[in-house]
Amino acid sequence: MWYEKEGKDTDIVLSTKVIINRNIKGFPFPAKMSDADKENVLGMVRQAAGSMGLNFVRTDELDDSAKADLYEQFFSGYAFLNSNAKTGYLLSKTEGLGVIINSTDHISIVSMVPGSDVATAYKRADDLAVKFEKSMDIAYTDKFGFLTSQIKSVGTGLQIIETLAIPGIEKTEGALQVLGRRVEKYDWQIMPMTQSDGQRQNGIYILSNVATLGVTEQDVITGAQRVQTDIIKLENTCRKNICTKKKGIVEDQYYRAYATLRYCRRIEIAEALTLINWLRLGQGYIDTSEANIDWKKINKLTQKVRRSYSDSGKKAVRPQQRAAERATLIREIMKEGQA
Amino acid sequence: MKCSRCGAQIGNSYAKINGNLLCENCSRELKIDEIFRRQSSVFDQAFPMLDVFPGTFAAGTDLDFANAKIRCARCGTTLRDIEASGQLGCIECYNTFNESILKHILKRQGSSEYMGRKPGESSQINPEVKPESDSDMKQSNIVEATSTPDTKPAATKQEASETQAADILDRIRNTELGKLTEDELQDGMMKAAAAEDYALAAKLRDELQSRKGDA
Repeated sequence: MWYEKEGKDTDIVLSTKVIINRNIKGFPFPAKMSDADKENVLGMVRQAAGSMGLNFVRTDELDDSAKADLYEQFFSGYAFLNSNAKTGYLLSKTEGLGVIINSTDHISIVSMVPGSDVATAYKRADDLAVKFEKSMDIAYTDKFGFLTSQIKSVGTGLQIIETLAIPGIEKTEGALQVLGRRVEKYDWQIMPMTQSDGQRQNGIYILSNVATLGVTEQDVITGAQRVQTDIIKLENTCRKNICTKKKGIVEDQYYRAYATLRYCRRIEIAEALTLINWLRLGQGYIDTSEANIDWKKINKLTQKVRRSYSDSGKKAVRPQQRAAERATLIREIMKEGQA
Repeated sequence: MKCSRCGAQIGNSYAKINGNLLCENCSRELKIDEIFRRQSSVFDQAFPMLDVFPGTFAAGTDLDFANAKIRCARCGTTLRDIEASGQLGCIECYNTFNESILKHILKRQGSSEYMGRKPGESSQINPEVKPESDSDMKQSNIVEATSTPDTKPAATKQEASETQAADILDRIRNTELGKLTEDELQDGMMKAAAAEDYALAAKLRDELQSRKGDA
């Protein structure tokens, strides 16, 4: 999966997702489209993408493992994958790059990279967008820019979503408020990540851009780079501070978290995330030589725990069994690379 | 039992959220305890949870969204639909709900003039992070200073200059009393009295006394 690769600043920025939305002239937006129109759009997009080196798949023809793969790669939500609403994907050989057809817009180009490298993620998505714009009749007016079904993305049609793990800021009194104000100043927004059942995910936040009209693409990218530089600086200061001032507590919690994750037999998402946060907080600032863990593992754990297809899917499976399956998965990741 | 946020030992009062135990201080800091107390407190949170306000995008505009009569001739979308979902039905909607209305909605986005690239043009993106200007650096230093309460002068530093004392008082005025430790309260009370801010000193004294009463 793309998020297991090396990336920039992955100790804080889990992933950067760039979405570019485009629509084709002559059709209503997917929410108001007839099935026949949707079929037409699927066909047209598939044809236009013929020379782009993308693989076309229909959502309703995907088997469960393919759906799980797309879900766990953060392409789409569970409901979308299982709605059978004449949707489809164009998947690139590059991991984390693809096009979703007939989601909220006719064409949603999605590009995801681990870490904070927003320019690379944007470049990939934009290259595809330009190709679509050249080969299809894309809805555009000089006044509004690219027309999208969502009012909030009309203009550039560009959305940047960064997933941040900031336990240091969360555990420092008042730092969240400072962060909120900083982000607001850049005209971005940040909110706590919530699970599908509405519960908060500890220490994980979503940062996204607000403006899509009245700004150039470069403005948005520069904004992303600046705001993330700021957050990384603040988070590092907070982590360092906590790990120096409360060294005993952090060390204790770090190794307790490590041991629990390493040997647990049943574990809930919330508990696992809390424990992973302690690992994230201490890693690099306290003496962790006794623990067999690195950033790559911590990030893999975070993503696997946060997003598992079987967690949102099989409602019939009992929670205890899911907790046991989750614990097994965590133990396996923790064991990797151990003699 | 230990607090799953700060790791401190948990006393008699604690909150249980998602199976995690939180000590009194932490649940107060996270404003968890307040949610049950009064409804309006969601607005006090650093980031109000967005699912609390569906359709927030329209907040603050003085549009009459109840007007369901204007209807897009092509797809049948009404203003009320747009309010509910934030979604338009088709490209024609951009004409139907003419610019005077859309402009209000687009206020959220700042300027309503399109400045992005044209279709088919590729935009030149500079992959380098621009070096921050001096003023930016200064600002972030301030952020670091204010965001780390542990760096504030220890309570025993009697030789702290007057300006520092004033800073501390400002900080105490701006934080909730419940968040301060007894030492901080005691210290703040002395400083407030020295700075002749008797109202604040009295407030701190009352808080201290009420805590002693609780114990």
